[in-house]
Amino acid sequence: MTPSEPLLQVRDLRVDVGERRILKSVSLDVPAGALLVLMGANGSGKSTLGLTLAGHPRYRVVGGSARFAGQDLLALSPEARARAGLFVSFQAPPEIPGVKNNLFIRTALNAVREARGEAPLDAFDFLGDARAAAARLGLPEAMLGRPVNDGFSGGERKRNELLQLALLRPRLAVLDEVDSGMDVDGVRAVVQLVQELRAQGTAFLVVSHYQQLIESLMPDAVLRLDQGCIAETGGVGLASDIGRTGFVRTAEALGV
Amino acid sequence: MDTARADILAARHQLQTRGWISRKAEAFRHLPPPDAAVWLGDESGRAAPGCEAHPLTGAGWTLHPIGHSPQGRVDARWLDASDALQRAELWAGLSAPLGAGIADNADDRAEGDAAPFSWAHRALCRHGLRLRIGGTPGAERGPREPVWLQLRHQPRRAVEAPMLVIEVLAGVHCVLVETHDRQSVACQQPVVQNLQAHIVLGDGATLQHLRIATPGAADHIAHHVHARLGRDAHYAQALVASGSSYHLQRNVIALQAEGAVARSAGLLLAADSALEHQVRLSHGAAGTTSTIEDLALASGSARAVVNAHTRIAPGAAQADVRQRLTGIPTGGQPKLVLRPHLEIHHDQVQAIHSATWGALSEEALFYARQRGLDERTARGLIVQGMASALLQRCFADDTLLDTLDIDALLRAAVARHLAPGQEAEHG
Repeated sequence: MTPSEPLLQVRDLRVDVGERRILKSVSLDVPAGALLVLMGANGSGKSTLGLTLAGHPRYRVVGGSARFAGQDLLALSPEARARAGLFVSFQAPPEIPGVKNNLFIRTALNAVREARGEAPLDAFDFLGDARAAAARLGLPEAMLGRPVNDGFSGGERKRNELLQLALLRPRLAVLDEVDSGMDVDGVRAVVQLVQELRAQGTAFLVVSHYQQLIESLMPDAVLRLDQGCIAETGGVGLASDIGRTGFVRTAEALGV
Repeated sequence: MDTARADILAARHQLQTRGWISRKAEAFRHLPPPDAAVWLGDESGRAAPGCEAHPLTGAGWTLHPIGHSPQGRVDARWLDASDALQRAELWAGLSAPLGAGIADNADDRAEGDAAPFSWAHRALCRHGLRLRIGGTPGAERGPREPVWLQLRHQPRRAVEAPMLVIEVLAGVHCVLVETHDRQSVACQQPVVQNLQAHIVLGDGATLQHLRIATPGAADHIAHHVHARLGRDAHYAQALVASGSSYHLQRNVIALQAEGAVARSAGLLLAADSALEHQVRLSHGAAGTTSTIEDLALASGSARAVVNAHTRIAPGAAQADVRQRLTGIPTGGQPKLVLRPHLEIHHDQVQAIHSATWGALSEEALFYARQRGLDERTARGLIVQGMASALLQRCFADDTLLDTLDIDALLRAAVARHLAPGQEAEHG
């Protein structure tokens, strides 16, 4: 990656799910350490973009390119993308019965650390870090010893995503409606964590409909996705406009 | 002729008269067992050499305490079945096997289907172990402090018929780990093993029984566990088994007294091998509860069969029955057969059964990979989790699972199963 090259560079990305084209042409850049907000009506393709970047096998790339940290992202396996520093939070994180949360996260963290050339964390050190992160995020410590997302409420699942984000410290985090199902304290924890990680250099692509969260995050740019294309780009004012007028944008709202 | 010899000849005669298990027998038709000659050692080339491994204490059985269990409460007797008196002691209180088709009721008929194994066992059995756990004979109730034991069995002969009898006295709580593995000993020649185990739980007794059976690839194995439960007795058995040339694990559990509870869990790992788990539970009294849950993983050209049959007899009011069978192919083109059966002869009961065939959750797999785990590690972790959840539901005792380090056991067993070609390499 050259100094001028963005961390993530997506060009004319086209993606099918089954027989249906969801992303028709998406192009965007995420510079290192930047924070972009992605907005769009339901079905506009926001989650599809995140899962495509993550390498979900159900999302078939039929055209375009995506480069991440100087590599052809689309040529990498899902785990190679994660190890290169891409974290994608799930809207509905699945449960993994019988696998204790702390074992799962530690195994993932050590896989990522190994890719970075760092020594693996032993159970003791990991648990200390995990407990501290869980406390900051308002996730009960008992959740560390329970099976991954098994019996977790919606808010607890989202907090568990944030816990993994906090421990994995990726180069780019795609957060897909991480605020949904969260209480006020949870949303505050999201903002605080994002700010902490940004200060350490993590870039963010945040999918959200929540005006207050978007304003709190102080994004570098706001993108509006419409019918599989980036229809509009602006500052935080765009999020305010969308909040006022909705996603059905009239020519007047667009200033034309 | 002494009575031991006469008993052996009578058993052979029964076997000859009644014949071996028909290939059409309902309980065995998906994985028919090898013929009687194999189990009797009459097959050429099988019976000749003994195992070259170091001799083990007792009749292939060795008993080990776990932790600081007070061993004075365990009476262990290694008995020589070729001696008339000891043979009588070994079989004391146990009924003779029935012949197929001559039984009065369905439970006995089911036992009759497998009776040829019992006759073959009587004909060949030379040694047995009889355990009496908790308290002194005649004591009404034993102490509540649990007795922890490990029982290892290593084959001593190429063809053998070991015997095990366990009595857990009233009110006693016992944890038993029973292992049958070939990987840690020198003897690796193929073995034919027809084991009969009888378990009797007194009123209010509890037995948490972890059974691990990982035979060599060329072994022929048939383990039969017969359990009888007294009033309010609890029996939980979790089986971890891998496949071999032929491997049958068969449980017959009788809940004949009020309030008895039985849970049977099976983790079956068959890679290019054969493995069948039969569980037959009979509810013969009111207020009895049972669960059968199996997770069968099969790969390559494996044949894995789970046969669950629960019978609720007339009068067994408020019986509560659950069966949950899951089969997951983990590669290749295995044959996976899941057969849940319920036979209900009483109205006021609860009964649920299910059988699910399918792949691992693709969403869970992708989720794990998105967090950085390679596909093989992710699969192993998910499968291990399913296995761990199975055993947790069976024992409902986290302390027990931690003490026995079940996670490490499952991690190793699942890794062996998922590693291509591993099963064929040992044994």
